Amino acid sequence: MPAVVSAALALAGSGLDRVVAPVWAALQAREPALRLDSPWRAAGQGVTLALLGGFRALVADAAWIQMYAQWEKRDLPGTETLLRSVSAIDPRPVYFWLNGARILAYDFPAWRIAEAGGYDAVPPGVQRRINQEQAQAALRQIAAAMAFHAQSPELWVERANLELNRLGELEAAAASYRRASELPGAPHYVARLYGEVLRRAGRKAEALAWLTQLHPTLPAGDPGAAADLVLSRIRELERELAVPSASAYRPR
Amino acid sequence: MTAVPFSLRRAWLIAHNTLLEAVRQRLFNLLLFLALALVLGARWLRDFSFGAPELKFLADCGFGSIAFFGAVLTVTATAQLFFSEIENRTALTLLAKPVWRAEFVLGKYGGVVALIGGFCALLTGLLAAVLWWREGELMREFPESFAQGRVVSYGMVCLAGYLQWLKLAVLGAFALLVASYAQTQLFTVITGFFVLVICHLQHLAQNAYERAGSVAGGLASGLIAAIFPNFQVFALADSLAAADAPTLGQVARISGYGLGYLAVVCTLAVYSFRRREI
Repeated sequence: MPAVVSAALALAGSGLDRVVAPVWAALQAREPALRLDSPWRAAGQGVTLALLGGFRALVADAAWIQMYAQWEKRDLPGTETLLRSVSAIDPRPVYFWLNGARILAYDFPAWRIAEAGGYDAVPPGVQRRINQEQAQAALRQIAAAMAFHAQSPELWVERANLELNRLGELEAAAASYRRASELPGAPHYVARLYGEVLRRAGRKAEALAWLTQLHPTLPAGDPGAAADLVLSRIRELERELAVPSASAYRPR
Repeated sequence: MTAVPFSLRRAWLIAHNTLLEAVRQRLFNLLLFLALALVLGARWLRDFSFGAPELKFLADCGFGSIAFFGAVLTVTATAQLFFSEIENRTALTLLAKPVWRAEFVLGKYGGVVALIGGFCALLTGLLAAVLWWREGELMREFPESFAQGRVVSYGMVCLAGYLQWLKLAVLGAFALLVASYAQTQLFTVITGFFVLVICHLQHLAQNAYERAGSVAGGLASGLIAAIFPNFQVFALADSLAAADAPTLGQVARISGYGLGYLAVVCTLAVYSFRRREI
């Protein structure tokens, strides 16, 4: 009898699958967790969804509070385990990924150096290595987050900040800021930072071209857009590049 | 038994009786109370929400309650209501009368479907009320964020409730199929939960089937993907925004998918129960 039941179900299921196939394709396109490349991660998400469903948010929040308890004790393995658990349980909020990456990049190096004797005792070379290791771990966290939130400017900005401030990779940071500025919902300051990083990287002509292109798009009455600051940067760059006054940028 | 024709009325009477029996059970009341408390309590749990926007958090808690307690209720109620008839020997008395086994099985299933229908309707209604109330408060506190009016689509909330019910109805049919040949209630309950997890992971088998390099692996994953329904498709109305609303065609397809499985699995449960020694 089990053979009859299985055969009947398989036969009916293969027909019914065709009915729902367009809906499933639409759902997969909308939900990144359903098209993960890694079968283990996909299985983890499937089990989490099956067992917790909508409770994922509540359970992840509880795990996040627990993570802070470990963070206060500076328990590095405990904090890291819970950080990863939270984003595995509920990968939807960018908040968890973003703050997790910040803890990995900024808090963990300080804890590791303190454990090794403190900033005075640990040689600068070792400190640099620890900082780089943790920055790379944070970048991996950001990369994992991007599988779920490909269109999040916050993640690209965080990636750029890490590349700039923790790894000192100006070119990589510039590329990430540029990418962030092109995404919908990106704050105005990201485009300004892209110009600033270009300037720091010695690509002053490109920076000037970028900022002159950016300035007319900034709303004048919005303090967050900082149009005046952008204009002052343009003037500085024009001086540094000795741009003749006839060719100088003229705001409309 | 072939002397009397199949009667929907007798099946209806069994379903009605099953429903009455179910709502008198302590388990149903306990699960209902827990789910209701959680949906209402989400209003106070929101202080612990870090990641999700508040209204989404409330909706997640509500749908989580429906899905989790609904699954527990569906599997346990199906097993308990079915086996209570077998263990108390009332099934023997009932089936000695001119009652078809199909009427018995479908009646039991109808009672369970009505039970989870009431459960889903009650919780969805309560969730919609909680969301409406909180959204109103937020509108008064932050009018600039609600310049376009209410942001929650209550149609989507109702649709999500309906899809949860449909999913649980399919799960109930599978639990009934297992109960129709299982010897113990415990086996049915455990297998029912396994079916729930497998149905949520079924899409992995589908992906493996599509990518399969080996013939054997492809056949095995294809078989799993065909036998078990994909429960992830019932999460189509997971969003609160009207912009994410599925089309009527999509809802019809999911309904057809769910009802199709439901019909096939119930038929198999009848087939299996007809061969069972009581």
